[in-house]
Amino acid sequence: MNWPWNPLPAPWNLKNIMANKPKRDIDEDLVRQLAKLLEETGLTEIEYGRDGWHVRVSGGTHALQAAAPAVLPATTAEAEPDAATDDAIDLTNAVTSPMVGVVFTSSDPETPPFVQVSDQVSEGQTLLLIEAMKVFNPITAPKAGKVAQILITNGAPVEFGEPLLILE
Amino acid sequence: MFEKVLIANRGEIALRILRACREMGIKTVAVHSTADADAMHVRLAEESICIGPPAAKYSYLNPSAILTAATISHADAIHPGYGFLSENADFAAMVEEHEFVFIGPSADHIRLMGDKIAAKQAVKDAGIPVVPGSEGALADADEALAAAEDIGYPVLIKATAGGGGRGMQIVHDADGVKQAYDLARAEAKAAFTSDEVYMEKFLEAPRHIEVQVLADSQGNVVHLGERDCSLQRRHQKLLEEAPSPALNETQRQSIGDKVVGAVRKLGYRSAGTVEFLFEDGEFYFIEMNTRLQVEHPVTEMICGLDLVREMIRVAAGAPLGFKQSDIKFSGHAIECRINAENPDTFQPSPGQIGNYHAPGGLGVRVDSGLYSGYTVPPHYDSMIAKLIVHGANRNECLMRLRRALSEYVIDGLDTTIPLHQRLMKEPDFVNGDYDIHWLQKFVDGTNA
Repeated sequence: MNWPWNPLPAPWNLKNIMANKPKRDIDEDLVRQLAKLLEETGLTEIEYGRDGWHVRVSGGTHALQAAAPAVLPATTAEAEPDAATDDAIDLTNAVTSPMVGVVFTSSDPETPPFVQVSDQVSEGQTLLLIEAMKVFNPITAPKAGKVAQILITNGAPVEFGEPLLILE
Repeated sequence: MFEKVLIANRGEIALRILRACREMGIKTVAVHSTADADAMHVRLAEESICIGPPAAKYSYLNPSAILTAATISHADAIHPGYGFLSENADFAAMVEEHEFVFIGPSADHIRLMGDKIAAKQAVKDAGIPVVPGSEGALADADEALAAAEDIGYPVLIKATAGGGGRGMQIVHDADGVKQAYDLARAEAKAAFTSDEVYMEKFLEAPRHIEVQVLADSQGNVVHLGERDCSLQRRHQKLLEEAPSPALNETQRQSIGDKVVGAVRKLGYRSAGTVEFLFEDGEFYFIEMNTRLQVEHPVTEMICGLDLVREMIRVAAGAPLGFKQSDIKFSGHAIECRINAENPDTFQPSPGQIGNYHAPGGLGVRVDSGLYSGYTVPPHYDSMIAKLIVHGANRNECLMRLRRALSEYVIDGLDTTIPLHQRLMKEPDFVNGDYDIHWLQKFVDGTNA
């Protein structure tokens, strides 16, 4: 791998994006509703999200966890994309993040994403952008293949080494 | 006060900072390399962010990764600890540009003290004693003699363009000046482009004594006494103690007052340490460290103050909550640096810890991120723990230190604990009779 990555000019502004994120307000009614639903349905866990936040209600320990994506709790330091509630994903073909930053699926808010699930990509093709310090770093395909799964959402913060998408 | 502090460091000091934050009700963000995912401070922090691969250059020394982590975690301030980016003026400036608070001094003060020549001039102007020397180059042997008489023997004649010991002559008395002067010039001419030489006082067997200061943004400055760090090997300190066995109360007061005056004059903020060589009752400035130091706990133990807490408070704009007259020194404290190294060969010894048992009891403190099953990564500094012991006096402190060292169990790798235990039996050490060359001779087995 080449360190450091060649930077691109920045059409997004990280600070603005983060500033526009809603703060973590606890919606007690929502949590109560979810907890009630949990009891009624006999499920062990419900995760509900919208507009970039999600709430997970777990019946096992009665632990409540509200997490905006702008925060990386220590307990979920391992990559935990939205799809993580499904069975464990095989990460052998995952493209991982080369840096801490904010991931973007398109070059600006108006254009379509670089890639979508089931797209064929060639080696070196840009898959995503990661913004760090107002610089956009292209994440390119390490090999030709098919995009099997995208593990992140636009605008999500990512750690170094976090799986971004699966390329088969 | 800050709500959330990002700790831009690793190891025991990251844990030390985390502890202070916890006690102040401040949330913490641990940033770490992939090699430190299991580190204690990462496990204890409210949030953790992996910022890069094991190589420090791409993780702990990567300003962009650290500032991005601070942005996405909404941290208010960054504590740099020691080492890594702690004395990097550009990093301190970047932190402030990104509207975070740097828990330390201003970038300008870091830059000033990082330039050794400018720093010496600045502290000299502010009233701190420096190594006396000739003002510039010596024109001839007569001038050299006059300068030597002025400075006082022994003196060192050095090449202006010099380095590595070449073009350097030690002179013990007036009879030797001319010969040494000619020799130094000849050597300088052969080794360097210029044969210019200058003169400095030569210190034969000095001690390393440093004064801890604490200053707020309102101009309040206090000193927290001195630490004696003379036990060094290859410029690496092994054991530090406070107060120094070599200073009397008058000397302590005098140097403390001078340092406080200078620090106030310089407009310095945060914790800082002014390091001196000390010989024959005189202090000579070496450098100022513009950060928290490894050995800060010995000062904390005799002052009853939490230095990290005070750094955070003054960084948030709060004034110091005490005056110099409120600072009371109590008893004696010693810190042993415990490294993952062979105690005889000093070969680094990274690896997995087996059984781990830290000593305890009255007056015993262990600052360490170790635990049973933890693996010491090979990528970083070998210091894995600090054992700090406090006693009512130096003798009690030594007895307690011997006891604590004998209790400490770190299975699975070599540590410097046996070296410390050997040191505790040395009459010179027990008597406090050592200088900066003593430890190297002790290790080499050449002490008389």
